[in-house]
Amino acid sequence: MTGLVRRFGGIAGMLAVVLFFAINVPDTFLTLRNWLNISQQISMLAVVAACMTVVMVMGDFDLSVGSMASLSGVVAATLFTQDWSIPAALSAALAVGLLGGLINGVMVSLVGILPFVATLATLTIYSGAAFLISDGRTIFGRDIPAAFGDFARGGPVIGMAGERALVLPNLTLVALAVVALIWLVLEQTTYGRRLYAIGGNSEAARLAGVPVTWLRLSAFLFTGVGAAVAGLMYASRVASANPTQGDALMLTAIAAVFLGMTLTRDGQPGVLATLAGVVVLGVLDNGLTQMRVDSYVREVLVGAIILAAVGFSALGRRGVLGRRP
Amino acid sequence: MTARTIFTAGALAALVAGGAAAQEVAVITPYLAQPGTQFYVDGFTAAAENFGWTVNVIDTAGDVGAVISRIEDVTIQGVDAIVINVDPAQIGAGLATAADAGIPVVGMDAGSDPLVAANVTSNGYAMAAETAVYVADRIGGAGNVVMFTFDPFPPVQARGVIADAIFGNFPDIEVLDRITPDVSDGGIADSRAQMEAVLAANPEPGSIAAVWAAWDQPALGALQAIEAAGRGGEGIVITGIDANPQARDAIAQGGNFEASVAQDFVGIGSVTAETVKRLLDGEELRQKVIYVPTELITAANVGAD
Repeated sequence: MTGLVRRFGGIAGMLAVVLFFAINVPDTFLTLRNWLNISQQISMLAVVAACMTVVMVMGDFDLSVGSMASLSGVVAATLFTQDWSIPAALSAALAVGLLGGLINGVMVSLVGILPFVATLATLTIYSGAAFLISDGRTIFGRDIPAAFGDFARGGPVIGMAGERALVLPNLTLVALAVVALIWLVLEQTTYGRRLYAIGGNSEAARLAGVPVTWLRLSAFLFTGVGAAVAGLMYASRVASANPTQGDALMLTAIAAVFLGMTLTRDGQPGVLATLAGVVVLGVLDNGLTQMRVDSYVREVLVGAIILAAVGFSALGRRGVLGRRP
Repeated sequence: MTARTIFTAGALAALVAGGAAAQEVAVITPYLAQPGTQFYVDGFTAAAENFGWTVNVIDTAGDVGAVISRIEDVTIQGVDAIVINVDPAQIGAGLATAADAGIPVVGMDAGSDPLVAANVTSNGYAMAAETAVYVADRIGGAGNVVMFTFDPFPPVQARGVIADAIFGNFPDIEVLDRITPDVSDGGIADSRAQMEAVLAANPEPGSIAAVWAAWDQPALGALQAIEAAGRGGEGIVITGIDANPQARDAIAQGGNFEASVAQDFVGIGSVTAETVKRLLDGEELRQKVIYVPTELITAANVGAD
């Protein structure tokens, strides 16, 4: 019984959140339109959090993802102002993400700086670069090609609700593609298994012949590029770019991975669990807004719920809530 | 539609509104932590209370993308109107969602956009006219005037145009220099340096009658330069625009900095509420920009509020 609580307590908690809003916001919360809406709102966070999972399975962090997201948006927007085509500007922004990830990987894996310290330093560097490139300004209006801003507003029409079309947002599709890719990499390849092995015991993995240094370095490429993708999605959504707009993604992404970890059997990060964590955070924002809960109370509540979920999970694992495993 | 059917529809609407639950308006801003925004919201909620509305004030703490998300949320929730206090150019996706659902969006000093039913703000042309005319009157329509303008920023450029026109209308007023200060450091330091150069080039007492600045920072910089040069006693008249706290202090001291113009933030909030009311009552707004009067601040009224 207690084993069941441990195994499914997190899922039950998440369903309870959904049920709570279904009861309190009866007319709109469980509609398809609202869930499509939520899927679009969490798409950027889903991309960053899925990529964050890749480094967190090794027990590492990447604190620079938020400022990298800001930087990639600013890079693309600045290139737009210099009449670069959309594909060229986006490629350049993604290349910046790759480079940023590479720097993080080299610092953590080759140089051997703690991820917390290394990525805290690059957080500052990427953020400073975003300010430098944009001159601290928001780039918007005619500088941004209409097609770039329209991407985030569009998507295939999947049906009608009353007289209004139901659209499956493009951003949702991008997020689903990224999550699927990360799932394949982590769950279905030797590469992914080895990352988990490093997280379990990096020394044992090394002795077993796993090239720990290179794998660890390469994992940071995922967070770098993932952050750049999310930054571009954000820039498309607001049809503009400023040097701080992605910053909030970092802490929320880490919170989502931790929330997800409460769902897995062994308490390890997993990309689908992370996605569930992202959904819960998105649902909380959406539901509490519709319930007219004050913005600041909303923030306190979201933090408290994360603490409660992770706290219960930790107590469960230590056997306080049941048999010692 | 005849006048009679309009009347009937209006009466029906009033009946429905009276009988149904309170109307609900969402106010969404990333900038609630900024003092000006709080005044807007105070003015809005006070007026909304009189109308009996339920008001949901949502602050996204600087996150413009989240403004779009929250607009989508309250659109799904089915609010009666949405008020925004953010550049509409950056939240087009949210405005499109609200428009699609037929929910009116009103800007509270937000900016103009085809999807914003009306934007309530201060009239920059009128603000510039207030101080330019003050300068012209104070110097008796004659003398050399130094202008500080900033044409790259459209709202400030508009102020400069008006001052040009007013000074041009006085044959004995000569614009000595039209300076565009470097604003990367906030605008005070470079304005001071530029003013020092003008003072050095015009050493004769009385050779500069006034300094007209398109916003407060250059006016404060010019004041520093004039005082540092020991020429505070020449009666050079300085005016700014915005009436920020530093400018109010300078005006209250009774020195060269004589006047600035204050926006009525609380008034913008309450007029926004009235504008929402007109939309909810079914009125078709002809004016897409609604101006709230501003107030000339001088030593006579600087302590009044």
